[in-house]
Amino acid sequence: MSDTDLTQGSQLSEPLADRRILVMGMPRSGKTCIMQLIFEDKNPYDLMDQLIPPTMVRTAYDMISGITVYDFPGIEDLADVGGPDPEIFVGPNTSLVYVIDAQNEAGKSLAELLALIRVALAANPALPVNVFIHKIDGLSEELKMETQQGIQQRVLKNMGFESLDSSNVQFFLTTVFTETIREAMSRVSLRMVPRCDYLESLLNSFCSKSSLDKVFLLDVRSKIYLATDSSPTDPQLYQFACKTIDTIGDISMLCAGLGPERDDEVVMQRTVVTMDTNMRLFMYQVNLELSLLCLGPSAVVKQQSLLEFNAAKVAKAIRQILQ
Amino acid sequence: MGRSGAGKTSMRSVIFTNYTAHDTRRLGATIDVEHSTVQFMGDLSLNIWDCGGQHKYLDNYLNEQKENIFGNVEVLIYVFDLETTNQESEYELYDECLQNLGLYSRDAKVYCLVHKIDKILDDDMKAQTIARYERAIKKRTKGFDMEVFGTSIWDHTIYRAWSRIVYKLIPNMATIERHLRNFCELTEASEVVLFERATFLVVCHTTVDETQSLNRYMNVSQAIKDYRRTCQAVQAPFHSMEVRNRYYSIFVEPFTKSTYILVITTDPEVEPAVTKANINAARSHFVKLADNSEVLQ
Ligand SMILES: Nc1nc2c(ncn2[C@@H]2O[C@H](COP(=O)(O)OP(=O)(O)OP(=O)(O)O)[C@@H](O)[C@H]2O)c(=O)[nH]1
Ligand SMILES: Nc1nc2c(ncn2[C@@H]2O[C@H](COP(=O)(O)OP(=O)(O)O)[C@@H](O)[C@H]2O)c(=O)[nH]1
Ligand SMILES: [Mg+2]
Ligand SMILES: [Mg+2]
Repeated sequence: MSDTDLTQGSQLSEPLADRRILVMGMPRSGKTCIMQLIFEDKNPYDLMDQLIPPTMVRTAYDMISGITVYDFPGIEDLADVGGPDPEIFVGPNTSLVYVIDAQNEAGKSLAELLALIRVALAANPALPVNVFIHKIDGLSEELKMETQQGIQQRVLKNMGFESLDSSNVQFFLTTVFTETIREAMSRVSLRMVPRCDYLESLLNSFCSKSSLDKVFLLDVRSKIYLATDSSPTDPQLYQFACKTIDTIGDISMLCAGLGPERDDEVVMQRTVVTMDTNMRLFMYQVNLELSLLCLGPSAVVKQQSLLEFNAAKVAKAIRQILQ
Repeated sequence: MGRSGAGKTSMRSVIFTNYTAHDTRRLGATIDVEHSTVQFMGDLSLNIWDCGGQHKYLDNYLNEQKENIFGNVEVLIYVFDLETTNQESEYELYDECLQNLGLYSRDAKVYCLVHKIDKILDDDMKAQTIARYERAIKKRTKGFDMEVFGTSIWDHTIYRAWSRIVYKLIPNMATIERHLRNFCELTEASEVVLFERATFLVVCHTTVDETQSLNRYMNVSQAIKDYRRTCQAVQAPFHSMEVRNRYYSIFVEPFTKSTYILVITTDPEVEPAVTKANINAARSHFVKLADNSEVLQ
């Protein structure tokens, strides 16, 4: 599958999309790897082997429901051209992702982050700031926690000194080797989806009406979720959901010569996976990009027709919201 | 059989226990002979002897132990290491094994695996290398039924070889195959494939176009095996899967005690619910065929 048409080098002078996620960080912190993993479906091991040239211009990736993600050149390179234009942070649907390499000394990166926050919050005080503490794959459980605490404390303390409002700052531990990175990107985009509160309550009611444990509304290609019910997300369960989507894609491709996402047509795909325990997984196609993925006890999913009936109604409501 | 480091234990671990190719890097050299028994398709049980390939053991097999090692052999799988530094001594060892096999198990089938074929990247080079081995081995193999496969634990080639080996071992395969074709027709499916339950090796299928389809089924098998591992990791063992849309439906279901079935329907007129009912109806019939090879021989 070729996704090259989704990416285009975008000149620094071009206007940015309305709904946008800005990905920034020091050179070699891992930004481009993250983009290629999520949007070009690359395998993390291949990413480690390949030599990614430094990003010279910002690159745009189209995400679902009109969100565009911009991979910026490393902060140092950006400084050469006089720092980022404060205008890019303006707007109610803008979000900043800052990537920090957890396997290296973070001092310099944190100083740059603070400088960036200063400019960004001056332009847009309500801007969500998402700090990805990245490349945690090399760290022990203990060191992970220590690193997160260290970075978190330093960022919040520094912001406190300058009386910057830190209520919109969030921290995530990520690596391209697990679904942590997709989950973090999901959490970032979740807040930017149109009428996200309504979507969440819609999924909540779907969950309780159909006695499901968990529902995701996700983009089948990138596996980013746009909405989920308000119950806590178990990272292992999400990882399992991602793997299921991959498997279904592979098997459909092998058996029928085409994946679930025929580019031009909604094929009404429904999938049921049953486990030897009291668990089932059900997927229901919403539109070209999106599917509902539901997890619940077998007994519920066994009432297949009722579940499908409910899913159809929810899917219709979602299509209306996202139009 | 094969020299130390050729990949015998790796291949056994990947197929019969749920090792990934990656996991095999931790394997040490096999001490003497490792015996294992695998229950396969009902009452067929495979006794697998993994013969450690270090010199001291090989000497022993070919001398004091020869009657024990080479007696009562149904199948000899000889693993050639593509990366061998001494081709000639490799062939000499093979000759000696065949000599002994001729003495003690004249009716055995022989399969030669040109192993670690992943080390050759170029597809043409791969094919040439396998062909070269095949010519050389054929010349040395007299009086035995023998097949050569290029294999690697890093792709489906190893499953392909083993599917073939196992296919030949199941006594009533022709009957099973015929019934499977009938079932495929009755249920108006476009393809039906039977997998062995534990290993997910392809046992038999209904498609005429042999090579192309087999590769696809191998990849399906691989995908499901990987997925089973994922399911294990969340303590939710995989049971079955069904995918339906406007154009096709795919069912992966436990079938008999020893098999899984894959049914693909591409006729939109065929209701998935009917296909599913047909699978259930066929099950009891196939239980007799696949789980008890004596009934319909
Ligand atoms: N590249 C590649 N490496 C392989 C393949 N199969 C096995 N290996 C590697 O070869 C090494 C030796 O494999 P073993 O399975 O222990 O070899 P063995 O034939 O059992 O050796 P003995 O027990 O001493 O006779 C392991 O590190 C495997 O990972 C293959 O298909 N491709
Ligand atoms: N160990 C590890 N390395 C990573 C990870 N993500 C990226 N890298 C490595 O970090 C280096 C820089 O990545 P790149 O995406 O080019 O950084 P950018 O300059 O921020 O775009 C590459 O060599 C990657 O292999 C990760 O999650 N874990
Ligand atoms: Mg880059
Ligand atoms: Mg061994």
